[in-house]
Amino acid sequence: MNTMQSSAQAATAARRGIVIEGRDVGKSFGGGSVIALEGASFSVKAGSFVSLVGPSGCGKSTLLRLIAGLIDRTSGQLTVHGRDVKGPHSDVGMMFQRATLLEWRTAIENVLLPVELQRTVTAADRARATELLAMVGLKDFAFSFPSQLSGGMQQRVALARLLQTGADILLLDEPFGALDEFTRERLNIELMRIVGEVGATTLFVTHNILEAIFLADEVMVMTPRPGRLARMVHVPFARPRTPELTLTPEFNALVAEVRDILGTH
Amino acid sequence: MHEPRDFLFWPARVLPHLALLVALLGLWEWAVASGSVDTIMVPRPSAIMAAIFELYVTKGSIYQHFFITLAEAVFGFLIGAGVAIALAVSSSLSENFERYVSPYAVVLNVTPGIALTPIIIAWFGYGMGSKIALAAVICFFPIFVNTLTGLRQTDPDREELFRSFGASRRQVFTQLRVPAALPLMFAGLKIGLTTALIGAVVAEFAQATAGVGVLMSRFSFALDMASSLATLLSMTLIGLLLFYTMEFLDDRVVFWRRDARMSAVSRARARAWASGAEK
Ligand SMILES: Nc1ncnc2c1ncn2[C@@H]1O[C@H](COP(=O)(O)OP(=O)(O)OP(=O)(O)O)[C@@H](O)[C@H]1O
Ligand SMILES: [Mg+2]
Repeated sequence: MNTMQSSAQAATAARRGIVIEGRDVGKSFGGGSVIALEGASFSVKAGSFVSLVGPSGCGKSTLLRLIAGLIDRTSGQLTVHGRDVKGPHSDVGMMFQRATLLEWRTAIENVLLPVELQRTVTAADRARATELLAMVGLKDFAFSFPSQLSGGMQQRVALARLLQTGADILLLDEPFGALDEFTRERLNIELMRIVGEVGATTLFVTHNILEAIFLADEVMVMTPRPGRLARMVHVPFARPRTPELTLTPEFNALVAEVRDILGTH
Repeated sequence: MHEPRDFLFWPARVLPHLALLVALLGLWEWAVASGSVDTIMVPRPSAIMAAIFELYVTKGSIYQHFFITLAEAVFGFLIGAGVAIALAVSSSLSENFERYVSPYAVVLNVTPGIALTPIIIAWFGYGMGSKIALAAVICFFPIFVNTLTGLRQTDPDREELFRSFGASRRQVFTQLRVPAALPLMFAGLKIGLTTALIGAVVAEFAQATAGVGVLMSRFSFALDMASSLATLLSMTLIGLLLFYTMEFLDDRVVFWRRDARMSAVSRARARAWASGAEK
């Protein structure tokens, strides 16, 4: 692809407010023997919250890792901010089901890790880290070590660390999947608030259809192997949303629609 | 952790142990005195006490040997650990390197290290050199294996996370792999240090001019069992000294595995952060 063409593409994408665009993206492992993802075409608008749902093994994590540039696609086109994705880049930050904190670093040192790996930490970085820990509700735990924190608190630290990268695209792979239901619900609501405050574009993988719809502007529904994108379902509800939303008939109509696509009635 | 007031009750915890020890020694003394055990082969506890008093207090002749053996074990350990860690790090960085090194490491492990004693004495002589060499050789393996196992543990999620932060391979190694390997590495170092002492003492038993090992065999040949056992006590002391030094280092370095230490480090980091913010 020559530069003129790609800068033209970047300009068009920016005009339409699209930050991630995939066309026929495919990924196979083992020289083509395992097809993890096939023909995925989609676009994600700036600042939107997109949930990914689909059965286990349908390629959700694979799609996130492709977008992050951690693995290379085997077919199709994939751009972030209009630029071709090749290799890890600083536009995205990732978060996993496990908090993946470094247990020899305090909470705040963990939050500063992404900065430390890039350059010398400044007073501004430290101030930002303190602010982010306060934002995730851990102001008083800045100097606790991960093993002194509960699972939910560890995920909050991981979220603060993700925000410290300054990335405007957040890729969350079942971030609260290992937590109990109460903690997960609370964190989901806080996540919506924080992501709104920061104005980031978010891709959120989950197994829970209710959660997917409750949080998102768009739900990307994926079908079983070989992973394909079945549909994008638009979620029209206004924000801020409260848990009561899940009791309304409109909400449940959407749940039924997604279940239909997945064939899990 | 003990409550502070536990301190007041320590006699209550210690007394039963002391009572048992005194009872055992009393039984031993009585058995020997009553003639049912040979006094030459098994000396009375009181005779051992007298020998200890002579060796450690009145003559003080043990100390020269004590420090020689201690030095042999420590230097042997430092050399063995240095080589083991260097080889483990290289092996973890290069699969080719590991392919060439590991057969030798395995051969060295299955060969009883102690069996090398005559060869090592022939090579390095009767002095401290051969003791240091044997200590180094036999403490090598546990340190090598533990360090390599620690460095090889990989956590795909964390490595991916580091890559997404744009970390270099070097940063992944120094900031992720090495700290994650420290607990296992220290477990290896603890075993290694004890093993190094065994190496030094065995080499002394075989051929030596000084050290607690040679002192002990001389007393035994002279059938002075009380002094021999009194010398054994010095090996116990060296062992304890080495063990607690290592425990102390482990506690400092791998602090995140110890709850009590973790709180202390956490407070220290909070203070450091506060003083950094003032500047
Ligand atoms: N590194 C790899 N090598 C080989 N196959 C892989 C690899 N990574 C993923 N796969 C395969 O690709 C398919 C999709 O995997 P992926 O992890 O993306 O699924 P997922 O939708 O995230 O599943 P889950 O909901 O269980 O997390 C699976 O069949 C998986 O076995
Ligand atoms: Mg997954």
